[in-house]
Amino acid sequence: MICSPATVARGEGYKRFMPATAETYSLGAPVEIGKIEHELKRLWQEGEGAMTRASLVNLAVYSEEPGSLQNNTQLMARITESHACRAIVIEADCKANDDLVSAWISAHCHVSSVGSKQVCSEQISFLLKGGCTTQLPNIILANLDSDLPLYLWWQKEFHEQVDPQLWTWVDRVIYDSHGWSDFHSQIRLLELMQKEANQHIVLCDLNWTRLDNLRFALAQFFDHPASHHRLAKISKVRIDFAPGFRSTAILFAGWLGAQLNWHIEEAKSPRELRFIGPTARHIDVELRERNGEPVHEIALTSADVEFRVTYADCGDLLEVSRTQNSEARHLQLMPAGNNDPVGLISEELIRGGPHRVYLNALNCVRDLL
Amino acid sequence: MNRAADQPEPNPLREGLSARPVPQPCSIVIFGATGDLTHRKLVPALYNLAADGELPPGVVIVGFARRDKGDDGFRRELEESTRKFSRQPVRDEIWKAFAQSIFYHRSEFGDEAGYKQLAERLEELDKTHGTRGNRLFYLAAGPDQFESILKNLKAAGLNQTCKGSWARVIIEKPFGTDLASARELNRIVRNSFTEEQTYRIDHFLGKETAQNILVLRFANAIFSPLWNTHYIDNVQITAAETLGVGTRAGYYEDAGALRDMVQNHLIQLLCLVAMEPPTDLSADSIRDEKVKVVRSLHRWSRNEIAANVVRGQYTKGTIHGEPVPGYRQEQNVNPDSQTDTFVALRLFIDNWRWADVPVYLRVGKRLPKSATEISIHFKKAPAVLFNKDLRDVNVLVIRIQPDEGISLRINAKVPGTSFRIEPVKMDFHYGTSFGKPSPEAYERLLLDAMSGDATLFARSDEVEEAWAFVDPIEEAWHAKKDAPELYFYPAGSWGPEAADDLLARDGRAWRRL
Repeated sequence: MICSPATVARGEGYKRFMPATAETYSLGAPVEIGKIEHELKRLWQEGEGAMTRASLVNLAVYSEEPGSLQNNTQLMARITESHACRAIVIEADCKANDDLVSAWISAHCHVSSVGSKQVCSEQISFLLKGGCTTQLPNIILANLDSDLPLYLWWQKEFHEQVDPQLWTWVDRVIYDSHGWSDFHSQIRLLELMQKEANQHIVLCDLNWTRLDNLRFALAQFFDHPASHHRLAKISKVRIDFAPGFRSTAILFAGWLGAQLNWHIEEAKSPRELRFIGPTARHIDVELRERNGEPVHEIALTSADVEFRVTYADCGDLLEVSRTQNSEARHLQLMPAGNNDPVGLISEELIRGGPHRVYLNALNCVRDLL
Repeated sequence: MNRAADQPEPNPLREGLSARPVPQPCSIVIFGATGDLTHRKLVPALYNLAADGELPPGVVIVGFARRDKGDDGFRRELEESTRKFSRQPVRDEIWKAFAQSIFYHRSEFGDEAGYKQLAERLEELDKTHGTRGNRLFYLAAGPDQFESILKNLKAAGLNQTCKGSWARVIIEKPFGTDLASARELNRIVRNSFTEEQTYRIDHFLGKETAQNILVLRFANAIFSPLWNTHYIDNVQITAAETLGVGTRAGYYEDAGALRDMVQNHLIQLLCLVAMEPPTDLSADSIRDEKVKVVRSLHRWSRNEIAANVVRGQYTKGTIHGEPVPGYRQEQNVNPDSQTDTFVALRLFIDNWRWADVPVYLRVGKRLPKSATEISIHFKKAPAVLFNKDLRDVNVLVIRIQPDEGISLRINAKVPGTSFRIEPVKMDFHYGTSFGKPSPEAYERLLLDAMSGDATLFARSDEVEEAWAFVDPIEEAWHAKKDAPELYFYPAGSWGPEAADDLLARDGRAWRRL
């Protein structure tokens, strides 16, 4: 569900903000900043029908994109279908002259996958104007659902000015390095942030998450110990990526490098990388730009065998095949996952974990990003 | 849960991708491939694993049965049943790829030559599908066929593997009908497969909440100090179903509720509730602790059985407003049948932790609702403060099915000027908190067997100890003299009054479900 129109006469209460099904995506009822918790209680008391409020995590989204409040509300409506959370959606207009904070509350209700219960997640939306980065920590910290972890999804680029106290509260920071204009300065900010938080923040790069299903599909070729020797014989890798997703392709190469103990020897050209393996063996990586999914196809050559993972025509499946002496075998279909923000965030919320493998991959190809 | 001893070194590309042992490519040979279990549970479970990308590449499924049909006919039948019984809708393109790995092998279970041909076929599939000599044999046939199947698998050399590959066998219950037959079955299995190769499946253990019992107990420090005779008053485990015997009369007439449910499912759940913390999460560490619980179950003497075990049989009544026949009027049931369709037991675990804590088990057919749950009833708080005896105690409920979840009942003050106290419930529902539906029990268990993780499977000593507990009860019931009474209860009720009396004598009552 969400909520209905953005304004409501006080006397009407919150019934209209708790309809049974989701059709529209408005911000809900405007509320005074100091009364958010109080008004949230009213929201639940006055909602119609049997509903269960559920929350496993505080998911805060920060964006400076005009109109992002509505867009992110739509995303939250979909994310909460499978991840009950308290959503804190923030749009910041840092260039405004006067400081101003406006807030709204609403709920996203869905019929649960088990039974017919309405399961609802609450959303608090904020529009910050003026000194947004100074206002931000208090806005987030004052509105957390207690005892639950805080995931902060930071859209676009990080700032230097954010109060370090915020980072000590954040359990996972989610970002998409694919959209960064200057990778190195952003990574430096993240590392600083990690230092301020005593290293406890988990870095969740959606550009890495986008590779999850491809990595999974490729990894399974080598589950049997008899196939492990193939890893040591990989001589060629080809990665086909869509325009604008070169960093995604390089991260994939970095993953192979870090896990298989390869080191970058040289970037022969923008299209060719050369790694050196543990036995001084060379591995050539071809990066091929063509239209399609962010990373459309991976091919690994190991002696006379080619392992290939490619998007199937239907788009949400991967074709996984192994070809020996030009004879294709083992065509298998696997889920490709979704590359839209909802799919990526959902994947991230399911996985958890420390993302050590990501950091290793990143470090392996850091200079190329 | 840990890697089995026969599991290889991990694949470096898997790091961070799987929080569980990785299943390996293998041939899954299903004996009894035309039966209900294959169509309703096994193949839909395998399809769901494939659709979720959990099934390793190159897995092949070979149906072994007597009926004359080919691969295509078998695939068509399975497609139809999978579309009907699968947890998620069947997608044509995924089914098409999945079905290419399904084959049918026609043979009598007792025909030695059929197994030799099977061995040749599996070798061929190893070459074409990369299954690398890994074999998972699923015995979904009747238990009377087990010996023949196992013997012939051995004769064909299919219990042996070459270096780096494995052969495992999954056995469906019943694991015997008493201690003697269970021992005999274990002997037969051991003649062909080692204990490490043997996976005795109990689908209750594949359910999310059953697995969560270990997490609830051992990952939450608050429960540990309370989980003993000092704080727990009693434990109740109920497995109720609205269904009658249906088409299973042939099996059920001989088995009854005690053998069909208590000896395996309910005792397994009890073990998870009552076991000590294992030293680690390896299959054997967990099963070592479980078997100690079964060994500690107090064995009633024949004279004590009538006072501590109630057996019942349903008569005609109504379920969901519809009239239903009594058990003796069901198809293929002896009109004078003495089979138990309901059992209630009062038992004790004779160990330090559980001394004097009664455990009440209840299982029955044609009860008012279908539900399986465990409830832990804590002792009452001292009644000195609120000048009255508190009516309601704290109860922790672990719901196994349906609506898997956990609830805790606590006492709270009713708002107002007086000190009125009423119970309130804190409730956790899997379906509400985690939007993703839980996989079917068979999905989890098949994946575990392919990964070599036997944690959720019963070991031979667990099975034998459970029969050693159940056998004296069955013997007392079937004694020619002074056999305990068989009570009757109308379908749609919560069983015979004698079951309520079992608790009433202790000043307790069954939890209302």
